[in-house]
Amino acid sequence: MSHTFVRRLTLFVVAVCGLSNAGDAQTPAAARSRITGRVLDPQGAGMSDVGIQVVGTTIGALSGVDGRYTVVGVPAGTVTLLARRIGYGSKTITGIVVAAGQTVEQNIAMAPAALQLATATVTATQERGSVSAALDRQRSAVAIINTVTAEQISKSPDADAAAAVGRVSGVNVQDGKYVFVRGLGDRYTTSSLNGARLPSPEPERKVVPLDLFPASLIQSVTTSKTFTPDQPGDFAGAAVNIQTKEFPARRTLVMSSSAGYNAAISGKSTITAGNAGLDYFAFGGDKRQLPTIIRDQGSFNPQPGQGLVNSLLGTFRNRWSARPSTGSGNGSFGMSVGGNDPILGQRIGYLLSGNYSVQQNIKRDQVRAYAAARQGIEEVDRFEGTSAGTGVLWGGLANFSTYLGRNTKLSLNNTYNRTSDNDARVESGISENLGLDLDITRLQYVERMIRSSQLKAEHSLFGGAHEFDWSATASGVTRREPDRSEIVYSRVGAAAPEWLAIGTESAVRTFGDLNENTYEGAANYRMTFFEPGKELKVKFGGLYRSTSRDAENFVYSAQGLGLDNADRRLAPEEIFDGRFTQPGENALSLVPLSQGGSYTAEDRLAAGYLMFNWQLRENVNVITGARYEASSVEVIGTPTLGAPIRTNPKFNDVLPSLAITYKATENQNLRFSVSQTVARPEYRELAPLRFRDVLGGDNVEGNANLIRSLVRNVDLRWEWFPSRSEVLSVSLFGKQFDNPIERIYLATSGTRVVTFQNAKSATNYGIELEARTALTKLSPSLENVTIFSNATIMQSEITLRQGLTSTTNANRAMVGQAPYMVNGGVTWNTSSGSTSATLLYNVIGARIVDAGVVPLPDVKELPRNVLDLSLRFPVVRGLAGRIDARNLLDAQYRTKQGLVTRESYYTGRLFSFGLNWQP
Amino acid sequence: MAFHWRSLAGIALVASALTLSACSDDDPTGPIDLPPTNATVVATSATSATVSWAAVTDATNYIVQRAPGASGGTFATISPATLTATTLLDTGLEPNAPYRYRVQAIRPTGPSQYTAEISVTTNAAGTVAGVISANITANRILYADTVYTLLGFIQVTNGATLTIQPGTKIRGDTALANIGSSLFITRGAKIDAQGTAANPIVFTSARSAGNRKPGDWGGVIIIGNGIINRTGSIQVEGTGVGANNPAQIYSGGTSNTDNSGIMRYVRIEFAGYATAPNQELNSLTLAAVGSGTVVEYIQTMAGLDDSYEWFGGAVDGKYLVSYESGDDHFDLSEGFVGRLQYLIAMQTRIIAPLANAGSPAVDPQGIENDGCDSNAAGCANQLATPLTTPIVANFTLYGTGTTNGVTLPAAGGRGMMLRRGTGGYYVNGIVSRFPAFAISFRDTTTFQRATAGDFVLSNILFAENGALFEPQATPILANTVRHYTADTTVNKLSTVAGTASALFTSVAATLPANGATFDWAPVAAGAAATGGLATFTGALQTKAGTFIAGTAFRGAADPAGPKWWQGWTSYTIN
Repeated sequence: MSHTFVRRLTLFVVAVCGLSNAGDAQTPAAARSRITGRVLDPQGAGMSDVGIQVVGTTIGALSGVDGRYTVVGVPAGTVTLLARRIGYGSKTITGIVVAAGQTVEQNIAMAPAALQLATATVTATQERGSVSAALDRQRSAVAIINTVTAEQISKSPDADAAAAVGRVSGVNVQDGKYVFVRGLGDRYTTSSLNGARLPSPEPERKVVPLDLFPASLIQSVTTSKTFTPDQPGDFAGAAVNIQTKEFPARRTLVMSSSAGYNAAISGKSTITAGNAGLDYFAFGGDKRQLPTIIRDQGSFNPQPGQGLVNSLLGTFRNRWSARPSTGSGNGSFGMSVGGNDPILGQRIGYLLSGNYSVQQNIKRDQVRAYAAARQGIEEVDRFEGTSAGTGVLWGGLANFSTYLGRNTKLSLNNTYNRTSDNDARVESGISENLGLDLDITRLQYVERMIRSSQLKAEHSLFGGAHEFDWSATASGVTRREPDRSEIVYSRVGAAAPEWLAIGTESAVRTFGDLNENTYEGAANYRMTFFEPGKELKVKFGGLYRSTSRDAENFVYSAQGLGLDNADRRLAPEEIFDGRFTQPGENALSLVPLSQGGSYTAEDRLAAGYLMFNWQLRENVNVITGARYEASSVEVIGTPTLGAPIRTNPKFNDVLPSLAITYKATENQNLRFSVSQTVARPEYRELAPLRFRDVLGGDNVEGNANLIRSLVRNVDLRWEWFPSRSEVLSVSLFGKQFDNPIERIYLATSGTRVVTFQNAKSATNYGIELEARTALTKLSPSLENVTIFSNATIMQSEITLRQGLTSTTNANRAMVGQAPYMVNGGVTWNTSSGSTSATLLYNVIGARIVDAGVVPLPDVKELPRNVLDLSLRFPVVRGLAGRIDARNLLDAQYRTKQGLVTRESYYTGRLFSFGLNWQP
Repeated sequence: MAFHWRSLAGIALVASALTLSACSDDDPTGPIDLPPTNATVVATSATSATVSWAAVTDATNYIVQRAPGASGGTFATISPATLTATTLLDTGLEPNAPYRYRVQAIRPTGPSQYTAEISVTTNAAGTVAGVISANITANRILYADTVYTLLGFIQVTNGATLTIQPGTKIRGDTALANIGSSLFITRGAKIDAQGTAANPIVFTSARSAGNRKPGDWGGVIIIGNGIINRTGSIQVEGTGVGANNPAQIYSGGTSNTDNSGIMRYVRIEFAGYATAPNQELNSLTLAAVGSGTVVEYIQTMAGLDDSYEWFGGAVDGKYLVSYESGDDHFDLSEGFVGRLQYLIAMQTRIIAPLANAGSPAVDPQGIENDGCDSNAAGCANQLATPLTTPIVANFTLYGTGTTNGVTLPAAGGRGMMLRRGTGGYYVNGIVSRFPAFAISFRDTTTFQRATAGDFVLSNILFAENGALFEPQATPILANTVRHYTADTTVNKLSTVAGTASALFTSVAATLPANGATFDWAPVAAGAAATGGLATFTGALQTKAGTFIAGTAFRGAADPAGPKWWQGWTSYTIN
């Protein structure tokens, strides 16, 4: 970490602390205490018009929209609250400790009177607790969902949303970013932030890398696995929704920081790509831009003369080599301030939060190879080396909300996150085709940004019988991969390595840029008829979303036809330092490669739905309805050379759904759901351009003739909640796909090509188990120990179309589907919850990462046992410590194709120590 | 004596007067052998002329004869048996060439005299501009007086035959909208491109002279119904990209005797555009082309990818020239079993291509053969059948050498790269000026072919190469890329001291000037004039059949034979 950076950080911290103290000083000492919170119905939705009373006083309040309430003027001491609403059982919460002038948060869950005749009395501690809340949500949700809450995240070493969602049953996370649910590719998973669709910063996929969201900003991550008409219809695996934190009940300042190291890189000699600009703030792209003079050459038609080429070559950053360095450590800093203060007479809740982290990444002992059918299936093109780099993640949110009267809540949620990954890879190996030993160095810098602003309003009408909400969201993402460099040297005998100098891949610079903006407007109206217990809720609404994407990719190859062998033995920074580009020199050439190109996409989606949620009998709930989605996508691909190609598929679909929940006993549910959903082609897949995959290096070509696939989903789930914090559930699921889109290989007389085709059909089915229990039953001394586990066993089969011009294995499991997945853990915490220890385990069965090309088998990622440990403990008042150890086993990451190892490496064990300070 | 003179003169005078009076007589009942009158001939195109004459009373039919050239030559009848019209369109002529005609009338009483000779010169080739912008789905003729421009990827489909007249010029458009313009003869369709030595058919870049570069356009791709050793749907490299460039599947053919037509005296220049990175079109692609096809007297020049590439099939070829390739000169793979004789490959430099069209290869070789490329989909293994087993006889490979300041990439500069289970018979050749190695005899599977007896290197002359065989390299390559050698004595692999240039009548040792001419005939008493395997026996004889006979000389030129490359090849790179 540079000194400048540390200095800036210190200044930042001091400034913010000063601000916060000043704020405290200006607030007049509160004479009265407050109790605030939310009242939730059995479905986990906020309940308005619930009367809240402090028992023994006349002090009380009525809950408003979204179930929010605030009781002011509460006397200090231990008080009891009584919550009442017609049709619901009264609820008494005892033991709420209120300090003078403080605000206490207390959420309350209500149940229909039919289920509960007497007033339920629970303690404040019981009523609190996010785990219970999550299970409550799971128990009461109409669809099959899983929720990871802020509290669960805080007990894990998970640093971002991707890691957190990976703890959910049936979910696996690829590359630490991309979510696969029930073995279905990222195509079948959608991501939303506060309920609004997130744009994707990936040029070749529609997926959102969830590592963009720091854990400290997340209230919950919800994974819905079944479709109800009020959700977007384009998923089959899951809809992931990240809910950012709302304001705290009282003014709160939280600061956290951590320092750590990776045993495989920190303090060890390694390689670095070097910094170019404000890399530590993920703004390094500015110093890596494609030089304007080169961009202005377009497709080099007419061809620039040698004099111009010489000057063009001089405008690239002269960086090709990885530098030796000593690995540094990991660190993070975060701060949030929130509260609920009157501003100009209007009480406004707010949360401002910021987070910064830097992490060293390594792939130690990296081996990459291909399999080829020579005599048998043999390993070829084996390259050994190391990848190392620095990842930066920072971001923040600014959320505000307020109540206009009792029946309207307005929220303004803003999020901004930014990441960068600055990586170097060096590797040496043999090219079978060339019969040469090669040294390949790649420097890659990727910068992503995601932002979202949402204005949301919730109205409660007719005494809570009707609810209306609407939202308008503007969000955007960018992904820049400025100035990736790749250079290849060959070694012949004992001679010094020599620059390959000829061929499109001898020295390549790539400049990629992607921008996507989404505007979404949505409105929902919910009416409730009949008394509680026999309610019929009618919900209808609509959504319009407009997405524009603009992606471009420029690739340039420098070659040295005019260099002799001695020149080619120079270091790359010598070859390109200007000595061969003096006026009159004719040694180097520069050409754009046709793998470049750009595409734009305009996506319009209009959707409407009507949904009935009917409490048919006191223990039977039926949800049924349908959603209509009209989608129009226009993709215009512009190759580096040649005419633009336009494609404009339109798909209109009716998506029906039926879900029945049968409450077998007070704490057992049986759920059944059947629905139809769609999966539409991604933009890049529709652009019939051929360019090199940024990730894999294959030539990828879109297919303008793709159609959307229809997915029929069936789910059956039995769940049992023996106590508020225990669960046991078994789910069966089955999915049938018509025309699923698969990534396939085309064989050509030259290099192979990847494209996308509608396969004939696919099926996917499996069973999920989830269990969580305290060990009280085993021994009272184990009261504070909870074990939890979820496991998924599944199977899929995809059938490619007859006559498909593909040489990809035609009948097999779907790409990404693992035969099993297990998450498990054990956690211990003291009664107060201030000290805890959590051990988490995760393993995923061998799954296809790349379908094989005849006659080779499929490429599979092998299971990897991952063990993480977290400790939380108090230090002094207001200050809590945390120790995290991640990837304790440092199991090898490995993909194999038959007996050939295609890729393997170790990522190193991570240790960190952190402090949370909440004055 | 004086009297005799006088009387002789008198007789002559009388005879003359009689004759003259007969000639000037307009009487239609005159002598029966008078020829038709008013005979004329006009050129109607670069390859046709129309002869017409006045009708003759009583004539039952007419006979028209033609002789080539302005004088000399032999008259031959070109009219049909019973020509009654008084006009005849004569086609199939060479452009810008003089021809003479004469006409005879046939009467019931007998044939007339011939008219006096009338002469014509056909139009020059390429005086009309034409474009080919749509696929050719019915038989079509391309005329020599037209310069055609291919706009984009043009496919001859639907079993149509594309006939190209001698001397016709076809240019691949280089406008951005049509980048990569190419001509595809798809499976079932035919090409009938029979040029002549005087009027070859030329495929070239649409750019003006001086601005043409390798990769300006795509190339000529022929897809036959022959057999390859890969399974599944295999596309011709570079197809399936962009507008009107559908994937061309060449796998699944069933007949190695398939006929895709004739190509004779054809030049293909400045081709090899890459539609995607490493997806280049070759100058001439022969994908699964069957042995019913005739390919001879072909030259490729300044292509960006391979000059010639055969993917399976069994087409034979003779008299093939490759000058300045961006990759390999002759590339044979995927079960190719055809026979090739009289091949010349010459490389003197690496030419910078059109920007954005691709790149010269990292591994340019003279001949590059693969059994089945194990990195490619659909190869069961390197010894997938049919095995690549060509016969390549009388080849002259002339590389860059080390004298012209050309630095080849480390993976290139091999005369013959024989790998991945290829077999074949390589006989009576010359491999010269390959700085890396003359031969790379690579991979265990290829060695297995040698021990099985269908991989033969015999009677090959080497000059000015690096090592004869590529050695097994440093340990890191061991077990991944195995190299083998062959016995030089048993196989008659002889190396001559001195320069390769000295082997031939006129081939410069230094970088040749644009428009150079070469005489590849061996110098008398030079090493190339002898040392050939004159008599084929055994498997070689069986393979060669009647198509290829043994020769006493080595290389592509018979010291006593015609200089077959002269007149129609070009070495002007501008």
